[in-house]
Amino acid sequence: MSNTTKYSVETIPGGYPRDRIFNPVSVAVMGVTPTPGTVPYDIFYNILASGYKGVLYPVAPGKRSISSVPAYRYLTDIEDDIDLAVIVFPSNVVARALRQCGEKGVKGVIIISAGFREVGPEGEKREQEIKDICAEYDISLVGPNCLGVVNTDPKIMLNASFARKMPAKGRIAFLSQSGALCTAVLDYARNRNIGFSKFVSFGNKAGVTEMGLLDYLHQDEQTDVVLLYLEELRDGRALIETARRVTRGDNPKPILAIKSGRTPQGADAASSHTGSLAGEDAICEAVFAEAGIIRLNTIEELFDTAIMLTNQPMPKGNRLAIVTNAGGPGVMATDAAVDVGLEIPRFEQATTDKLTGALPAAANVKNPVDVIGDARSDRYEAAVGAVMDDPNVDQALVILTPQSMTDIEEIARGIVKVHEQTDKPMACSFIGAADVAVGVDILQAAHIPHYIMPEWACGAMADVQRIRRWRELPDEADYQPPSADRDAAAAIIDAAPAGYLDEDQAMTVLKAYGFPVSGYKLCRDADEAAEFAEKNGFPAVLRVVSPQIIHKFDIKGVALDLKDADAVRSAYNEMFSHIGQAMPEAEIKGALVRGMIPSGREVILGAKYDSAFGPTLMFGLGGLFVEIFRDVTFALAPITPSAASRMVRQVRAFKLLEGARGTGPADVDSVEECLLRLGRLAFDFERIAELDINPLIVGPDGQGSSVADVRIRLSE
Amino acid sequence: MEKSEITERTIKVTCEVLNVTPDMVTPESDFVFDLGAESTQSVQLVAAFDEEFDINMDAEDALEVQTVGNAIEFIEKYVNK
Repeated sequence: MSNTTKYSVETIPGGYPRDRIFNPVSVAVMGVTPTPGTVPYDIFYNILASGYKGVLYPVAPGKRSISSVPAYRYLTDIEDDIDLAVIVFPSNVVARALRQCGEKGVKGVIIISAGFREVGPEGEKREQEIKDICAEYDISLVGPNCLGVVNTDPKIMLNASFARKMPAKGRIAFLSQSGALCTAVLDYARNRNIGFSKFVSFGNKAGVTEMGLLDYLHQDEQTDVVLLYLEELRDGRALIETARRVTRGDNPKPILAIKSGRTPQGADAASSHTGSLAGEDAICEAVFAEAGIIRLNTIEELFDTAIMLTNQPMPKGNRLAIVTNAGGPGVMATDAAVDVGLEIPRFEQATTDKLTGALPAAANVKNPVDVIGDARSDRYEAAVGAVMDDPNVDQALVILTPQSMTDIEEIARGIVKVHEQTDKPMACSFIGAADVAVGVDILQAAHIPHYIMPEWACGAMADVQRIRRWRELPDEADYQPPSADRDAAAAIIDAAPAGYLDEDQAMTVLKAYGFPVSGYKLCRDADEAAEFAEKNGFPAVLRVVSPQIIHKFDIKGVALDLKDADAVRSAYNEMFSHIGQAMPEAEIKGALVRGMIPSGREVILGAKYDSAFGPTLMFGLGGLFVEIFRDVTFALAPITPSAASRMVRQVRAFKLLEGARGTGPADVDSVEECLLRLGRLAFDFERIAELDINPLIVGPDGQGSSVADVRIRLSE
Repeated sequence: MEKSEITERTIKVTCEVLNVTPDMVTPESDFVFDLGAESTQSVQLVAAFDEEFDINMDAEDALEVQTVGNAIEFIEKYVNK
């Protein structure tokens, strides 16, 4: 091989050989045909036409040349070393082509061809075969069934894809599982003057996955922001681990993602609240939250936020100044900003004085600043300059509507001038299209993000705030999970058959893991129940214990508020007399006797073992909030304190725990503590298929919480 | 028809349609991987074999044939029916 500079793998921690994919010195396209308009030809032509800086070889059996470039019958006929092979052969001969790559020592391969896992069992077999070949020859593979790879780095200029045009250079990397979406995104981005550093369609992920690509892009000096489009999430835990590494630490890079397929419920039949609510999408949401990935719903939102991140510095806080020449849009922007959690601060007196001096008497010098409809560039420049200097302002949004006297170009230039003198982020919304276009061009040339509607700018700024807060979260690498007596829990769980644990067993498991479980005893007759209640204290509660009785209230299997021993005895006898008649087949083990838990706010904590994600946790407020509004949050177990905090605070009904309508705050810390313990319990025992603590009664702040009822279902 | 004649004529037709030389073609040759057949040429090959041997092959099955050797066997079945 020539001594051309290779952007060697040693530059990438972890020794990923994927530089052979993004930065190859030589590329062979295998399976090229001479017919323009076909994928095998267009891939080759796109590399040629993109101005690729390396050496390109077409492998085209039976052809002397392709587009005047001498062609080779086999890859192995090429004398030079090949860094990257792009395979465009039909799927039934791809394995043969891949094996030739291995034999020649090619370490980077992109398989564009479809006809693998996505077409059923025959394709799955083919895909397994190519995985085996890659493992045998240590090949890094992108695809199959993908659009290809683009690198706009001027040192490389590689368009190894069948996208119609090479995208402009930029600081955004786009990773997509869908090839078809890629072409649409490229077209959309070109229309918005958005460029890319890398563009990757990774298709079936038979080799390189989003995790490997994220690690690569984390080190890529050309990339500031990563956009990710996923259709399936196969390994949520690996994504969390990788994305946390990318989005935090010394060299943090934001990841914005769309995950399609917001399916309603998981297919697993489930009898618990946790089981029925833990659909795939809810878990994905939890994975993204724990990974620090900003999940968005549309391509437009993705780019709205990406251009803010790549063009502007990170703000120091969430305080937004708005400058507008139109009252209505100013108010709309204020509403939108407040809705998404941005703060509209008061200005310092000095700022107000500056604004008063520069603006006419009719102007509004408070935030949002209204420079009035007849404002020209002098007013805009003075107002924007003044608010950007205010110490209470972290960022600004400048709104313009085109009036007859509005000197759009000059205003844009004035804003650019202020922008050059500040280290605070700024965005603009010149509302309209044709008239404002000239101003928008000036702003965009100066890297000031522009949004047609101010609400869109607010959305992007809010996403930036989420990223800022994520980075500011404490590092929990040294977090120690709560202590637990695992052996005591294992003594019950390991010995129990599949199905529900008895309530006393379930309580004992929780007690071993440090949950707030008050005194209890499984009593087998009325006298034993009365005797224990005397010792444990009144008022007492009786709850039937039977493997056949899951819904105890339905069969009068619960007696509450028993004030003395006689009341316990008679409740015991009545309960079993009734159950004996109503459910004679039920095997009765006795009644669990406990003290009555003082009333408080009721929450539900749940755990479920998910076949794809492993142990997962759920949190919600009791009653209607879970059953009707599905107001719940999820996380993968185990969790850290920040995840516990997120779970509790992200339910919409959190205000009820904070205190509302005359009630003081509840003991949220104790709820978070229980979630941490539940995370450890669910992680320690994979046999816990479903677990519901429903309810956990939460006392006032500082007074703890108490488990009122628990159900644990074990798998085989 | 003797197999040697079927082989000779199959190779001749393959060379004509795919524009390759006889020395490139062996029974093991894969029409796509070794001889560079495009999908449209595969269809042309089936038509050319039908004409050469005056047979009417099942097109769907014929397009599944991958190598020259398999094609010879496939054609032989029709010719010697």
